[in-house]
Amino acid sequence: MLEERLRFETLLSELSAGLIHLPAGAIDAALSRALQQVAMFLGVDRGSLDVYPGGEPGIRVSWARPGLEKPPRVMDADQFPWAAKRLWSGDIVRFARTDELPEDAALDRASYERAGTRSQISLPLSAGGPVLGVLSFGSVRSERAWPAEVVERLRLLGTAFASTLERKRMELSLAERVRFEKFLSSLTTALSHLSAGDFNREVQRALHRVVDFLGVARGSLIEFSRDGSTTHSWAIEEWMDVGEFPWMTACLQRGDVVSFSELEKLPDEAAVDRRSYLAHRVKPQVAVPLLAGGLVVGGLVFGTGDAERSGSDEVLLMQQLHLLGEVFANALSRKQGELETQRLRQELTHIGRVSAMGELSASLAHELNQPLTAILSNAQAAQTLLACDVVDLEAMREILADIVADDKRAAAVIRRLRSLLRKGDLEFVPLDVNEIVSEVGWLVKNDALTRNVSLRLDLAADLPGVLGDRVQLQQVVLNLVLNGLEALRPPWAGARTLVIRTAMDGAATVTVAVQDSGTGIDEKDTDRIFQPFYTTKAEGLGMGLAIARTIVDAHGGRLAAANNEHGGATVHFTLPMGRTDKC
Amino acid sequence: MLTAVAPLVVVVDDDLSVRKSLSRLLTLAGYTVEAFQSAREFLTREAPEGPCCLVLDVRMPGLTGIEMQEALAAAGRRMSIVFVTGHLDVPGIVKAMKGGAVDLLTKPIDREELLAAVARAVAKDAADLSDEIRTAEIRQRVKMLTVRETQVFALVVTGMLNKQIAYDLGVGLKTIKAHRARVMDKMRAASVAELVRLADAVGVIVPGPL
Repeated sequence: MLEERLRFETLLSELSAGLIHLPAGAIDAALSRALQQVAMFLGVDRGSLDVYPGGEPGIRVSWARPGLEKPPRVMDADQFPWAAKRLWSGDIVRFARTDELPEDAALDRASYERAGTRSQISLPLSAGGPVLGVLSFGSVRSERAWPAEVVERLRLLGTAFASTLERKRMELSLAERVRFEKFLSSLTTALSHLSAGDFNREVQRALHRVVDFLGVARGSLIEFSRDGSTTHSWAIEEWMDVGEFPWMTACLQRGDVVSFSELEKLPDEAAVDRRSYLAHRVKPQVAVPLLAGGLVVGGLVFGTGDAERSGSDEVLLMQQLHLLGEVFANALSRKQGELETQRLRQELTHIGRVSAMGELSASLAHELNQPLTAILSNAQAAQTLLACDVVDLEAMREILADIVADDKRAAAVIRRLRSLLRKGDLEFVPLDVNEIVSEVGWLVKNDALTRNVSLRLDLAADLPGVLGDRVQLQQVVLNLVLNGLEALRPPWAGARTLVIRTAMDGAATVTVAVQDSGTGIDEKDTDRIFQPFYTTKAEGLGMGLAIARTIVDAHGGRLAAANNEHGGATVHFTLPMGRTDKC
Repeated sequence: MLTAVAPLVVVVDDDLSVRKSLSRLLTLAGYTVEAFQSAREFLTREAPEGPCCLVLDVRMPGLTGIEMQEALAAAGRRMSIVFVTGHLDVPGIVKAMKGGAVDLLTKPIDREELLAAVARAVAKDAADLSDEIRTAEIRQRVKMLTVRETQVFALVVTGMLNKQIAYDLGVGLKTIKAHRARVMDKMRAASVAELVRLADAVGVIVPGPL
């Protein structure tokens, strides 16, 4: 007997030592081997280790002699209510014969007998905290007793198993944490440099990734506008329309977390929401408010559909959701900030454009007057022809064709003006810089003529396209040209030439330069000309170059000015070549 | 004053549509029309012989209408200009009118206005032309005078009497009378008053050396 005890102790200490240095991934297999060795040593027929992380059934390791069924789960309160209750409260359950079981364990006894168990010992596992699981050995072929020293040895084995399991849980949760950190940082990167145009697509993609990561069925991001009046949402699986969830929306706007696992737990005032959840077959749901700068900018909502998440750690999930929420909150608040900046920029551009149009109105009147003059004269010529005895039909046809052509020409002038004055959204499209410069050239042709300035376009052939907003870039060129014309205005009495030049600058940059032969820029002004409200003109707003620089910046280019070697100044800006993958 | 040939109207405008439509209107009104797209192009054409009127755009690339007016004046060429403009700039208008423009019309131009202005301009040019022809003819007559006859002619039109002229020129009264008769004959003047008008038409004749 002593020898046997010694062998058992040796086995246990070997098993315990073997478990200590195992990596988390190898633990289940090692536990399974250990369980079998101990069962064989004890001469029992079945053994099992059931782990219950967070109180729910988790990993199960079991062994049974060949030909026997696997042991039943003794923590299953439906089959073993008496045993499960004792085990959960930390007590050992053992019996040599089923009739040793007390009266109130009748249900348990029936279950044991149905499974063929004649003797059994079950030990709750704990690593100093709550019950993690249960270790059981049972005998089927014969009845057997569980002497105190065996119980003591098994308790030691149980402790070794429990600490191994606990270590595994912690290692896994650490690994999970690392995985989450990585996920979070990649998500942060994906959402950090979004232009307003890419926003919808990227947010949708990010939501998909989060839903996949969390293993939930549905997710949506809700955005609240600054004044709280309007909302916008992005969703997966067409879920959800904020209007269908007034209670949840109100909670989020107050900054509250909404979390429930059963619809019955929703309060009475959430009746509309409850109906919507039912209609969408969403059961448990968690929604976190998104905060940025002390304001609720939106909400992040996840629903698990019909399937319940198994083994979920609520605390961990909430932590993760809050961290994910921060990423989305930042993205939303950046987007709102960017839209605001963009709106201001458009407003400024519009102001600039309107004032430029004022300066141009005289030459534009001329541009419209030409076709109008031709139309009137042609129409009156036609009237003269009609007054003749014999009408020259061929001449009439020619006249009418000319009238039609001139009318179209006048309409084109108006259309171009309208497009220049339009206060539109930024629209980045592939553009031909030469075309933009030529159109501005057309626009200022008459202005240059009136001012007796020789205007020349020097356009590089084979320029690559750029990505940009046509109207805004025209605005920049127009502004630079008008400034150039201004520099050539009397009292300037020198040469009066203005050249608009396009060229390649390196392999991937296009430049547009406007060169005048005027007075040049005063040394003391060179730093200030790009500042808002700085002007040397009597009637200038001082916004032209500031707006131009803002626009060029928004296109990823640079605007700069310098004096020419032989008099006058050149203002030029660069534009990065358009990437074909975006075109 | 109209000659057998229809008066010439020259349209100078850089805009093809405007050029074409104005030409059409003027042709239908019975004028001979020539169109040019720039002032320089017109200046290469030799000066028209008959009555002529220019319809000029004020603002054109290269030489502007006003500059063309100045160039013609500097060359001493007869001209009768109707300016057209889409853009009213006061200094330009003042310059044009001081330079002798007949009219300045703003675009778009009404047919009646245009034809009235062109008719006035053509009439002015026809008058200028006949003045020019008459002056040339008088100059031709003056050229036929001898030096002594020219001296007598110059002094007669100042209202001097024969004896004063004889005294001034240091010749006899009879001789002066003979010269005077030949002057009246060559200049085809029936009276001293008519002789004065002829002298006025060609300008003051400086008496030759005594």
